This record gives sequence, structure tokens and C-alpha cells, in this order.
Amino acid sequence: MNDYIMETRDLTKDFGDFRAVDKLNLKIKRGEVFGFLGPNGAGKTTSIRMMVGLLRPTSGQVLVNGQDVHEVEKGTIGVCPQEMVLWEHLTPAESLNLMGNMYGIPKKNRHERAEQLLADLFLTDKAKSQVKDLSGGMKRRLNLALAIVHQPEIVVLDEPSEGLDPQSRRVLWNYIRSLRDDEGKTVILTTHLMDEADKLSDRIAIIDHSKLLRLDTPENLKKEIGEGDVVDMKLSDPQQNGTVLKALEGLDEIDSVLEVDGRLNVHALDAVGKLPQIMGTVESSGVRILYLSVRQNTLEDVFIDLTGTRLRD
Amino acid sequence: MKFTSIASKAAKELIRDRRGLIMILIFPMFFMVVFGFAFGGMGEENEPHNLAVINNDLGATLPLTSEKLNFGDNFTQILKDVKYEDSDVKIFNITETSLEEADDLLKDRKVDAAIIIPANFSESILASINGVNSSNTILIRGDTGYVEFGISQGILVGIIEQYQDDLSTGLKSQLTGTNIQTTPKLIKSDVQSLPGTESFTNFDFLAPGMIVFAIILLSTTVASALTREVDRGTLSRLQMSKMRSFDFLFGNMLPWSLVAAAQVLILLGIALLMGFNWQGGLNSILLALVVGVIGGLASVSLGMIIASFAKNDQQATNLATIITVPMSFLTGAFFQLPQVVMANFMGQPFQIYEILPWTHTLTALRTVLTFGGGWEDIAYQVGWSLVLTALIFFLGVLIFSRTRLKPES
Repeated sequence: MNDYIMETRDLTKDFGDFRAVDKLNLKIKRGEVFGFLGPNGAGKTTSIRMMVGLLRPTSGQVLVNGQDVHEVEKGTIGVCPQEMVLWEHLTPAESLNLMGNMYGIPKKNRHERAEQLLADLFLTDKAKSQVKDLSGGMKRRLNLALAIVHQPEIVVLDEPSEGLDPQSRRVLWNYIRSLRDDEGKTVILTTHLMDEADKLSDRIAIIDHSKLLRLDTPENLKKEIGEGDVVDMKLSDPQQNGTVLKALEGLDEIDSVLEVDGRLNVHALDAVGKLPQIMGTVESSGVRILYLSVRQNTLEDVFIDLTGTRLRD
Repeated sequence: MKFTSIASKAAKELIRDRRGLIMILIFPMFFMVVFGFAFGGMGEENEPHNLAVINNDLGATLPLTSEKLNFGDNFTQILKDVKYEDSDVKIFNITETSLEEADDLLKDRKVDAAIIIPANFSESILASINGVNSSNTILIRGDTGYVEFGISQGILVGIIEQYQDDLSTGLKSQLTGTNIQTTPKLIKSDVQSLPGTESFTNFDFLAPGMIVFAIILLSTTVASALTREVDRGTLSRLQMSKMRSFDFLFGNMLPWSLVAAAQVLILLGIALLMGFNWQGGLNSILLALVVGVIGGLASVSLGMIIASFAKNDQQATNLATIITVPMSFLTGAFFQLPQVVMANFMGQPFQIYEILPWTHTLTALRTVLTFGGGWEDIAYQVGWSLVLTALIFFLGVLIFSRTRLKPES
């Protein structure tokens, strides 16, 4: 059996003169959680819509199990869209039964499947309430349940945690893990939450300006911008950030320096041992350090390093 | 059968969205009540009135000259030529026909009135001039509660009076050589109600029009509901499944056609409360329901076509309103339209408006509810309605599938 369940080959989409996705080449392994990261407008949703067969590419191809996505059997992919795609006047049980029927699940099995999903996603108590009366978290969980009611091989989750409280997010994350670990599903996850991508993904693709920038495991991505730590500093005079940044870049002991939200982030291996040199360089520039913390490198640092800090649409 | 699940889903959404459902049912009711109160005349000045002439006159021979005369033909020609004062507009559009066909035309309000010239018309005129007392009555026949009939009747009585004055003066002079000013009454006119229309009002004609208007308006709600499925992404969700276009579109059709049936019942009830003279029995309600459901299917199909082009439900509503309201007028729901015959089909004229299935719905509803007609009277209209509805449905399925149920390009 092919290790890769989904593959995109030079996938490109143009909307008039605007190129939304530019020659995207991805190989997604069977049974992995594949994180898909990028700033707003980077081309994530367009890529996902092409990958699930809802949008025809301008050029290139999407293969699922070696077959073109438009020819693959319906129901191979389940999609949980970013928006709440629900029928407000149906109940969760009715919604699940409807979609179960649409995927051709026999009546008896789909009732059992609906009950199981409602239980797994803590919706049993609201099974007979109309969707319009559910809370945001419940709707989000139902949105996921509708995407997987037919037990697809590939589950695509487009920002599934958007707007969820920590409790609901925890339930969702555990369920995503169980999809991979217990049911052997392949999960493609797009998210803005770096923490979520870091904790759930086996591999992550970062795209920006329509192009793939990096594709690797979270650990390898973090190593790429400096194995280890980040020294986060706030200076007494933020207008001097540029001067200090240049001075710090001259130090051999550090890997890189970035200005993020008016603060300086110094990336270095074993940063605690290098703090005297870093602080000395800052003070020699004539500014004081108002705030300083040392933490481990995160995926967000990698993301900012690769995509920059400029605000997107 | 996936379409049954889609139908069940659509029915639940329809019933549970109470505000929307009430709007669908209340809006046409409002129109029915307004028209019920305001069933005034709709006649227009200096417009030709449609008149059917049944000329049964066998003619007569003048005793002195053996000249053959037919006063019926002569009077018919006068009716054809008579014009409004100081105008070139003729007062009547004449259709020469039989009594049976004239009754059909009267029922469909394709003519405003009919006059029946008796077989002994010429004989009686000559007999009266010669002093023999002879009955000679032109019947003016029609729906006595119809404003247009009243207007036509008034004009006809005047023309008959004038004709009999001219005739008696001229003929007496010709026959006796004297110019006599006082003449016997040669012709009388009498009004005869079309059977079943004795107590009719204009509202009886408008009420089925209101029902058809409500059925056509369903297109607006259907277009909006289908566009909402697109706009909210639920259609994309269904599109990812094994559902076929037919399941979605046919499934949506079923509950909406039931709404059409409910509208027929509710609006008929309201119309009865407002004084509608319902002619049919319970059988006519069943026939009206069948006709209404077919009309409803046509509206749902039109809704599909509109939903294929609208970007959101607001736009769908606006677009559908622009299309459906003028179309309601074109079916003749609110007033009689001028005759524009495209062709003849099975011996019946096919008007340009009859390319719309709802025109047939309207005629069939008037036939069963207003005139108490049965299945045999509406079979032709129901046949056309079915054919045209099927055409719109297949067109709707084709366009909606291509624009909404295929991957975007």
C-alpha cells in the first residue's frame, strides 16, 4: 500500500490575474495529522478546497490513493469547514442521520453511528434540541461530527478550534488524536493556533504568498530557527529597538534577533548561559531592559520568522 | 432513496421556521382580503369590448320584391362597425360563434358578453312592420355580476334601440312608400344570466387569481431557501456526499408542493369568508389541489433557476420578486389580458400567455372553483400545465446542477 494517501502535484489556482496557490507540492502520509499553517490570505483555504474536490485547479493535480480527486469514491474525504455549516432547524441527531443517509450508510448503522458520535463529542443531552439552540462549542463539535459520520479515510479540519473555550478545545483535541491513534484516519488540519498545530501535528506545511515555505515535523521546524531558547526583552526606549537589534546581531553566540510586537526576541541555544553577553550588549547601547524572560522556542517563533510580522488581510 | 431524506429535512426546516412559514402563508392572504374588499370594476374607457355573437337568424323574403333579407347579418355588421363617438376605436371586438362556445368564452372571460339573435329575427321584423304581433327578442347573455358585462350590456341596449328605430323608419318607408315617424317596437332586448353566474361578483373571478399569485410567489421563497443552502455551505457539505442532483432538487420539491396545496386550501377558505361564490363540490377541492400542486411544482422549478444565478438569499428574493410579480399579471391573475393568439392547438387557440404553466393553473382553478367544472373541463389545461412544468423542472435541474452542484471552476 502507498505510504502517501494524498498528493498534490504543482497545484495552482489563479483568480483572474491573482495567483492564490502557486505550484503546491505536498505528500500527506497515511495515518498522520498534517498541519497546514499560513497567515490569512496565504492560500490555505483555496488549497484545501482543491484538495477535497470542491474547486477545480487552474493547473496541477490532486491524487487520493493514486487516483484523481474528482474520480475518487465520494465519502473518501470528510470536510469540517471553518464556518458552522449546519441546518439550524434540524436537531443534531437529525443532521447526523441526514448526512449518514447521504453517504449511503444503512439505516440501522447510521442510528448507531449518530449515537456514538453524539456521545463521543458530548452532545447526547442536546441530541433532540434544534441546532439554533446549541452553544457555539456544541455547534463546533457537531460541525466536526457531520464531517466524520461516514468514517472517511481522510478528515479535513479547517480551523476547527476557532472560537472555542479551553474546555471545548481540549475535547476536540483529544478527539482528533483518537481519530489518528484509534481509528487510523489521516487528518489534515489548518489552524491559526500554533499551540494546536504543535501539539497535534505529525508534520506541518507552512505556506505564504501562495507558496509552500517549509514542510517538516514541528521539532525540525523549531530547530531550524535556532535549537533551544528565545530571550524575550522589552526595552525602556522602544525607539532604540533597531539600534540594539543591530548590535545583538553582531554577537557570535546567538542565532538570530527579531523585533516582534515592539519587543526583541533573541534566538540562541542554551540562552541562559549567554544572558550576560546579551544584557551587556543591550546596556552598552544606552537603554535599559524593562522586562526579560527566557523560554523555549515555539512554533509561533518559526511562523513569524518565516512569514514576518506584517499584518495580513 | 436519498431524496426522501432531503424532502424530510426540507419539510422540517419549513415547519420549524415558523416566522418564515407564517410569512409565506399570510402574505397572499393579505392580498386576498384586499381584493375581496376592493372587487370594483376594472373597465377602461375607449377600449373595445369583447362580444360573442350567436346569429341564428334564418332570414326572410320581402313580399313585394322577393328580395332575400337577413337582419341578423345586418345587425352583426353594425356591431362590428360601430365606433366610439369622435373616435376611430371600435366599440366591440366581435367573435361569431355557437352558443356552447360562447358560454366557454364567457366563463373564461375571454368575451364580456354574448348576444343571441333568434332564428325568426328577420321574419319577426317583417311581420311586425306588417302589423302582425310577433315576438322578437335579442338576448344579451353573460355574467351579470361582471363589471365588463354591465358596461357591454348598457352599450348594446342603446345600439339595439337605435337599430330598431332606424330599421322601422326605413323599412316602413320602403314597404309602404310613406315616411311614418311612429313605429311599432320591432326588437326587444333581454338579459340572460350565464347559468351558474347569477350571483357572481368580480371577486369570484379574482379569487382563483389570488391563489395562483400565491403559488407563483413560492418561487421567491424556494429561490431564497436554495440560495441559503449555497451561501451557508450546507450544499457543499451535501455535495461531498453521495447525494445526486436529482435527490436534492426532487427532495426539495416535495414539501414545497405541499405548501402549494395548503395555500389552495387556506386561500379558498379566506375567499369563502370574503364572499367567494364557490360553485364546485368537494370534488372541486380535490381537483383544485391537484392543479395547485402542479402549479407549485412549476414555481419550485422556477425557484431553482433563480437560485442558480443569485449570490445570496437577499439577492435571490429580489430577483425572484422582479420575475414573479410581472409574471403573475401575465397569467391574467389580476385582470383580463388582450387576446394574442400564437397558434391553434387541438381546436383551441393558444395564447402567448399560455406558455406559462400558471396561466393553465389559473384557468383550471377558475373552471373548477368558480364555474363548478369537472375533470373533463380542465384536462386540457392540466395537460399543458404538466408538460410546461416538466420542461421548467428539467431546465431547473440542468441549470442548478451545472452552476451549483459541480466543483467550482
